[in-house]
Amino acid sequence: MKKVLALLAIIFVICAAGVAFAAEPIKIGYLAALTGDYAQYGITEVNMAKMVVADINAKGGILGRKIELIPYDTKTRNEDAVNAVRRMIESDKVCAIVGANSSGINIATAPIVAKGQTPQISTVGTNPLVTVDNKGNVRPYSFRICFTDPYQGALAADLAYKDLNKKKAAILYNVGSDYAQGLREFFVKDYEKLGGKIVADEGFRETDVDFRAQLTKIKNSGADVLFLPGMGKDMALAIKQAQELGLKAVIVGGDGYAEFMNEIAGPAMKGTYYVNHTYLDDPGMAPIFKRYKEVYKDDCKEFVNGTMAYDGMYWLIDAIKRAGKAEGPAIAKALEATKGLKLHHATLTIDPKTHNPLNKAGIILKVGDDLKTKFYKKVEPK
Amino acid sequence: MDTFIQQLINGLSLGSVYALIAVGYSLVYSVLLFSNFAHGGFLVIGGYICYFVLRSGGANIWVASIAALIGAGVSAIVVERLAYRPIRERTPITLYMLIASMGMSIVIENIFVVTVGGRFRALPPVIPTDPVNFFGLATTSAFDILSLVTAVVFLAGLQLFLVKTKWGLAIRAASYNLKTAGLMGVNVNRLISIVFFVAGLLAGVGGIFLSVRYTLYPQLGMITTKAFVAAVIGGLGSLPGAVVGSLILGVAEMLTAGFISSQFRDLVVFGILIITLIIRPTGLFGKSVGEKV
Repeated sequence: MKKVLALLAIIFVICAAGVAFAAEPIKIGYLAALTGDYAQYGITEVNMAKMVVADINAKGGILGRKIELIPYDTKTRNEDAVNAVRRMIESDKVCAIVGANSSGINIATAPIVAKGQTPQISTVGTNPLVTVDNKGNVRPYSFRICFTDPYQGALAADLAYKDLNKKKAAILYNVGSDYAQGLREFFVKDYEKLGGKIVADEGFRETDVDFRAQLTKIKNSGADVLFLPGMGKDMALAIKQAQELGLKAVIVGGDGYAEFMNEIAGPAMKGTYYVNHTYLDDPGMAPIFKRYKEVYKDDCKEFVNGTMAYDGMYWLIDAIKRAGKAEGPAIAKALEATKGLKLHHATLTIDPKTHNPLNKAGIILKVGDDLKTKFYKKVEPK
Repeated sequence: MDTFIQQLINGLSLGSVYALIAVGYSLVYSVLLFSNFAHGGFLVIGGYICYFVLRSGGANIWVASIAALIGAGVSAIVVERLAYRPIRERTPITLYMLIASMGMSIVIENIFVVTVGGRFRALPPVIPTDPVNFFGLATTSAFDILSLVTAVVFLAGLQLFLVKTKWGLAIRAASYNLKTAGLMGVNVNRLISIVFFVAGLLAGVGGIFLSVRYTLYPQLGMITTKAFVAAVIGGLGSLPGAVVGSLILGVAEMLTAGFISSQFRDLVVFGILIITLIIRPTGLFGKSVGEKV
């Protein structure tokens, strides 16, 4: 009798453990800059991701399990990002990671997620090397939800040369940024192919805040368009200082653009153009931005990051469902096989050879006289 | 030629803001013989006080500026009381104060990160930044001219304070020899508080101007590295040296970026520092210890 009881007890313990195991949440890591220069972008992303997790959990989770979001701060530094990703994989045992938003960080973490067999989705890392290595081979565990710099550079060149009819371009870029270097390279290539001339190509370093020396050179070069392949703060300061120096060139930027630039640069922002992934009035995202405001009592100013984080989470959740289990390799396979997935801002199809989305439209934005960013045009890929 | 004049004006206006900060470094060094690396923190404190008084109080720039200057000055006194005085009373070795000041600079920065967040804040357009044309030769902003003028006014005010007032006399005496000044009846603790207040106040002025120019964020104090280099080039402890060093540095930075390459900017800055230290280890104006202020 004692033996039977003991056996029953053991069976009971195992069952209880089994139940507990089944109910254990699916852990998803979120990598974002929560402090440092890019904190604005990162905080918005994590806020959006939390909203998604709350929604999914309220509906009972996925695969019968709740989701747990584990955010880590990159501090806008590659070395901190690398440590964060190691911890996510080794001690938190996340099944996948969403973020970060910057190319440099994703390039730095790519070998680690590959080794740890944990898929990572970059939100706005547009440099080609995020998903493909130097030799052109696809990185098996690195994905992105945004378009890439060759496409973005071409859009910017097209805008400057054809739409705005400017034939002499100047560039001001951060020499230490993978993102800026890449975007600049593709802009130059496409702009020159169209027939335009690069009359000034000026660099600055990560920590610089004063660009007046370079802008003076740019002004004297006679450029009629200034391309800024940079990030929010740098671009805003450059735009402000350009206005102070009386630079007349039209300013075109990339997707490092953020709404907080309007606060920094003020009226100098009027009439500037940006290439971007989405826009504030996107009908698919508008209700989500409205809810964001209700939940966080603040506008979703960094709406591009918000959108990519929101849809990035939904993409991952869809992949976990299709994989049928919360394990890295299976999720990576499901992410790779994504076809015609209807998200909120776009319909996503992934190219298995590059892990880049196919056929994503580019959006051109223009800052109006009221300092509100307005939709200028949408460019469907050829 | 136009470009040269333009870059020169850019450089002078940058140098003038460096000067306000460099003078604070030099002032503290002249009395206590250590470099207060928390100095950049007072600049950030001043900037944030100005921002919040303007934004939430609805006050005008004058009220906000006065609040910022007093706030930065008082916080400098508080930092001295909390972090430096206990060390000062226990050991004559200034190296420990130097290390404490590095710690304080991180503390101040992180207090802001935790309480107000790391986001960039722009001061409302209280200082005009419209382009101003110089006889068709160069264009600069009204702000640059204003920052140059303000720096001159405050530095002149400091000079008057040091030369014409009793406490100024005490500071000059202390810069010869703090101990002897104490023996001669100078209240050393109060004197040091005054020195810190004045240094903090100047940092506050720099903070307001730098926040208008480069926006406000907790790491803004990093800019003081260049001001510190300027103070060393000019001769730590020498106020005219700090001013001259700052202007040299500002102009050198702009000319390098304008005529060679912006990537050489920091190379030139630290190159000048090294060359100065090799040729004149005490800096351009650093004479014998006796003539520091």
